[in-house]
Amino acid sequence: MRNRRDFLKTMAGAAAGACLTGHGLAAQGRRQVTIGGRRVRVIDVHNHWDMPIPASIVKGTKYEEYIKGASFDDRIPTLDKMGIDIAAVSVNDFWWWEIEDRGLARAICAHHNETLASWNKKHPDRIVGMASIPLQFPDLAAQMLEEAVTKYGAKGVTVGGHVNGESLSDPKFDPFWAKAAEMGQLVFMHPNGSGNLLKPGALSGRGGLGNIVGNPLETTVFLSRLIFDGTLDKFPTLKVCGAHGGGYLPSYLGRTEVACGRPGQKCIIKKKPSEYMRTQILADTMVFTEDGLRHLIAEMGVGQVVFGTDIPFGWPVHVDYIVDHKALSDAEKEQILGGNLMKLLRIAS
Amino acid sequence: MVAQAPARRQVSIGGKRIRVIDLHAHATVAEVDPVVKGTPYEKQAGGRPLGPDRIGLIDKQGIDLQVLSINGFWWWEVTDRALADRIVRAQNDGLAKFVSQYPDRFAAMVSTSLQFPDLAAQQLDEGVKRYGMRAAAIGGHVNGEDLSLAKFDPFWAKAAELGVIVFMHPGGADNIIREGALRGAGDLGNIIGNPLETTYFLTRLIFDGVLDRFPGLRIGAAHAGGYLPSYVMRTEVACDVRNNAKCVNRKRPKEYLRSQVWVDTMVFADEGLRHLVSEMGASQVVYGTDNPLNWPVTVDLVLGATWLNNADKEAILGGNLIKLLRISS
Repeated sequence: MRNRRDFLKTMAGAAAGACLTGHGLAAQGRRQVTIGGRRVRVIDVHNHWDMPIPASIVKGTKYEEYIKGASFDDRIPTLDKMGIDIAAVSVNDFWWWEIEDRGLARAICAHHNETLASWNKKHPDRIVGMASIPLQFPDLAAQMLEEAVTKYGAKGVTVGGHVNGESLSDPKFDPFWAKAAEMGQLVFMHPNGSGNLLKPGALSGRGGLGNIVGNPLETTVFLSRLIFDGTLDKFPTLKVCGAHGGGYLPSYLGRTEVACGRPGQKCIIKKKPSEYMRTQILADTMVFTEDGLRHLIAEMGVGQVVFGTDIPFGWPVHVDYIVDHKALSDAEKEQILGGNLMKLLRIAS
Repeated sequence: MVAQAPARRQVSIGGKRIRVIDLHAHATVAEVDPVVKGTPYEKQAGGRPLGPDRIGLIDKQGIDLQVLSINGFWWWEVTDRALADRIVRAQNDGLAKFVSQYPDRFAAMVSTSLQFPDLAAQQLDEGVKRYGMRAAAIGGHVNGEDLSLAKFDPFWAKAAELGVIVFMHPGGADNIIREGALRGAGDLGNIIGNPLETTYFLTRLIFDGVLDRFPGLRIGAAHAGGYLPSYVMRTEVACDVRNNAKCVNRKRPKEYLRSQVWVDTMVFADEGLRHLVSEMGASQVVYGTDNPLNWPVTVDLVLGATWLNNADKEAILGGNLIKLLRISS
């Protein structure tokens, strides 16, 4: 069983002082991003909340530790400081995917979705929720996705890279993918250190590789499986966004692109991998440099790249390497910072 | 009927004939077969031993000089030191013999018994000094052990002292990936496993301080250095952001890439190469084909790059390796 501390170690671990908090920010005011004198809307697709679960739901279960969680009170000031207009907030880690009790799993996800809805209600122009679902029960996940969207106003849905080691390209998960495709809901995938792929301890040691390598690796395998196992062909309207620039896949696309041309391959996919990258797959901007972003856009197309910050963790993210980008037009900057997500998340302009 | 040998392609840039050198070419040699006969490694005999057909392949591809290496590193599991040494001697003898037949078309990398680091250092010394070999070939781990462990320092010290490039080729990341985790459609064991192993290998050399301990060390990395150069940004900020990173490296990761690491051109696409050169610098990118395996490699990827000037094209196709391998021009 995973635990909350492991998650925070693998995924979080922002350096002291670098962690973004809202304390004392109120006085600094809200940054409003403009491009060429024109105010543009900045929307963040990669915005975490380690949401606490009420004791009434998990007390007496082995998940009591999740009564603890992070406060969300400093989120708006953080968004203000960074020039983010709207955060699409998701609860990640997916510890609730190992729960065998359907009722308990449902109650946890319902709490996530109701709570995100309440923040959206308080700050309708600043916070939107990404649906939380119990994907170990694909039929229930489909049902709860529908409920989150219709009843709680969720604007998309979030998933991890595997369900207890199982690939999300397994046909058992098709009811979920079918629902997301049918409802036109963007699926935001966030990894957690490739626990499904790695030998225990394989990335321990210097450099924080459990995160630095483990996270992009999990996303790469997840997206590769959706491509090569035919999930994106089965659901041609499905749109999936990979965190951290889509992992390694878009930045090192050449090898994947030629995989099916190798001797002895029996690929079932209908298109080239790069075609899925340019239509059904999206990536956030978490590549930190102008050059990395130029390459990501060259591989995916400007319509597939969306702003993401990994808030509240202390990565060197900001709007400036997009706003000041030398190779992008103003229209492209606006698309990446918010225009693409306004369409994908159906946010009224 | 004797098939007509294909004509030799001779590459020119702006009317000037240039030399094309391939750093990434696999080989096996028949000399190993009698050594492993009757041992548990007998099944490793055979393969596709080098023969005159290799000339036809490099002629067709416009390669002037191919640097051969024996990869797979199955002999690193051999626990009998004497047998391990005999296998490696047979490999190096076989490579040297082949190269001596075609000295202007092939060069070779030294094989070593890296499970015995002191022996590997000796073998490297002998390979370079006695056989005139130009580089050393290694895998990404020795039976699961990281090559950044201090026990391998004698080998790194020798490579640095001799100034030979150490070319690393991966074997599917089985040191870090769980058995079967990359099985299934898309050949991910190769497509993902190989760049992953190289990424991990280079990252360990950086973060564990090997490249600081041996500032004269030169590393070559197959398949464009795996993911590391193309997705270097996350690694570049690791020591600033991760509170568990315990970094001992003295420079930023990219500084090592741009000075002590060379990568091959195996990215198959213009945009991939452009980004690779942008991150590494044109001086750190060298031509590589993965011969005789059938990847869609061609010198035209470099020749057709409109964003490269002629001097950089020449450097990437051969000039960088002429210097690194000390080949007389």
